[in-house]
Amino acid sequence: MNIAQQIINGIVLGSGYACIALGWTILLGVARLVNFAHGQLYMLGAFVAWYAITRLGLSYPLAIVVAALFLALLGALMQGAMMGLVMTQNLTSLMIVTLGLGYVIQGGSALIFGGNPHTFPGTLVRAKIDIGPLWFTWQDVLVLVVTLVLYGAVWWFTQKTRYGSVIRAVAEDSKLAGLFGINAQVVYLLVFMFECAAVAIGAALVAPRSPILTSMGFNEVIMTFVVVVVGGIGSIGGALAAGLGLGLFTAFFGAFVAHAYTTAAAFALMLVLLVVRPAGLAAK
Amino acid sequence: MTVIDTSSPAPMSALRAAAVVVLIIVGFFMPRLLGGGSVAYSTLTTIAIFAVMCYGVDLVLSYLGEVSLGHTLFWAIGGYAAANLSVKYGLNGWSTALAAIALCIAAALFLGMVTLRTREFVFSLVTYAAAVVAYEIAFNWDAIGGSDGVVGIPALILPFGFATFSGLSQEDLWPVAFVLLLLTLGFIARFRRSKLGTTALMVQMNPALATSLGVDPRKIRLAVFVLSAPITGLAGWLYGYQRGYVGPDMFESYFLVLMLTAVVLVGRRILIGPLIGIALLIAQQNLLSLGGDWNKIILGSILAIVLILWPTGLVGLYRRFGKINSSK
Repeated sequence: MNIAQQIINGIVLGSGYACIALGWTILLGVARLVNFAHGQLYMLGAFVAWYAITRLGLSYPLAIVVAALFLALLGALMQGAMMGLVMTQNLTSLMIVTLGLGYVIQGGSALIFGGNPHTFPGTLVRAKIDIGPLWFTWQDVLVLVVTLVLYGAVWWFTQKTRYGSVIRAVAEDSKLAGLFGINAQVVYLLVFMFECAAVAIGAALVAPRSPILTSMGFNEVIMTFVVVVVGGIGSIGGALAAGLGLGLFTAFFGAFVAHAYTTAAAFALMLVLLVVRPAGLAAK
Repeated sequence: MTVIDTSSPAPMSALRAAAVVVLIIVGFFMPRLLGGGSVAYSTLTTIAIFAVMCYGVDLVLSYLGEVSLGHTLFWAIGGYAAANLSVKYGLNGWSTALAAIALCIAAALFLGMVTLRTREFVFSLVTYAAAVVAYEIAFNWDAIGGSDGVVGIPALILPFGFATFSGLSQEDLWPVAFVLLLLTLGFIARFRRSKLGTTALMVQMNPALATSLGVDPRKIRLAVFVLSAPITGLAGWLYGYQRGYVGPDMFESYFLVLMLTAVVLVGRRILIGPLIGIALLIAQQNLLSLGGDWNKIILGSILAIVLILWPTGLVGLYRRFGKINSSK
């Protein structure tokens, strides 16, 4: 029965990875931008949601909305500051700037929220479901459902609506899109705000599973990289499949090989895939 | 660009050579000139070590124009090599330094080969991930120190045949750090004029031209990356001896942000840019420190602000003001 339980754990973990990676997938795949502050934004999203519940007395669903809005606003500020680099597609500087901003977020959060671990009240983490010897929580169900809904909505929006084609046109050639009356700056701004809001939702859903710390986020960044690279950069369906696959891989690796080295194993998996299929994975 | 033109490839004139010699002598006696106290020695030793650390990143960022986010890995490899080999096997400084160089080259070759055929941001992504994953391994693997790290690193022993150097205090380590810095500066200056250095610049400035001349940008990237790793590694090696302790904290993003900030602060492609940059940053942290979290905010903000507002660094800023004044 251990195998069945590990499959459940894998889906639970994997839906979390996919949920956290959604923003990065869109940012990289649709707008061809990167954000190395992703891990710190994850941390901040979790802390804003925690703050909204414990200090402002909001309910959990409302706290998720507050976290998403707050990070969207922060994303707008970040993107506004970086707009010059974005419009010139200066990826080298963008990588370093986002890394520096992530460091600022980490220092600022440690100042505001302190260095102690905190636990989330009011979530569904303790609402356990037992089916024979197997178990999971209602929070896990919530993460899976929200992840599937978000991926479905994003896929529909980018592939099937006019706005989606506008975004893809800007990513393809922002100057040409400008000739057709599309304001590329607004598109980049909205995509970046979406990435920040998405990681906040992911954090508010996934982080309550364990105590939160202002130094966390690195593990989530690695898993996001693996999901994005393995899923085929920018592919929405690929990211979802890669997230779930990675969840199963880490669940089994953690249970049967070595729990302490699961991130290292996931990274090794990504390296192998990069060697075996570099063009197939790197090409959009 | 103008920044490159100023370093003429012609051999040094006698005047210039004399100026360099004077600067080296003044540099060597700098701790004495600053009062000769142990604080002066330890601060300047730290600056020299950190400057060498930054030059590894400088090689990749300034001359190749790509971002390695994994140089904390080489920094830590240097420290862990010094710590483990000297504590457990009693090896002297030469052996631990050689081991550090060999391990750094091996790690850089591996990462470079894996990302050889991928796009540039995948290279940054993999190097970043490698450092985080290496942290996890170092934290959990008790054989190389585990979460506690390695304590009680003995004095740095460097036998010269006729005499043996033994560096126990900061005053003793200053000459080693200074010589390492000089060697690094010499190496970078040599690299700037080398075929690899100029080709790397061409790849960065005009990839189409480089490709049409039969240059494979990816191979240049691999070569520069592998060359840069042992520089940062040797800095980590000396840092281990200076601190007497090596632990997983060497992987902290503090060092990564510090390296990148020092390189971009003064201006890329300037020989002594990273040295001045790191001196300014360490001076802020030691003399005008506002506490760990505030220092993080300051360091990260400097990095972001410089790249957003003055991508050419302080030198570019100075030139721009100079231009405004002269046009009046």
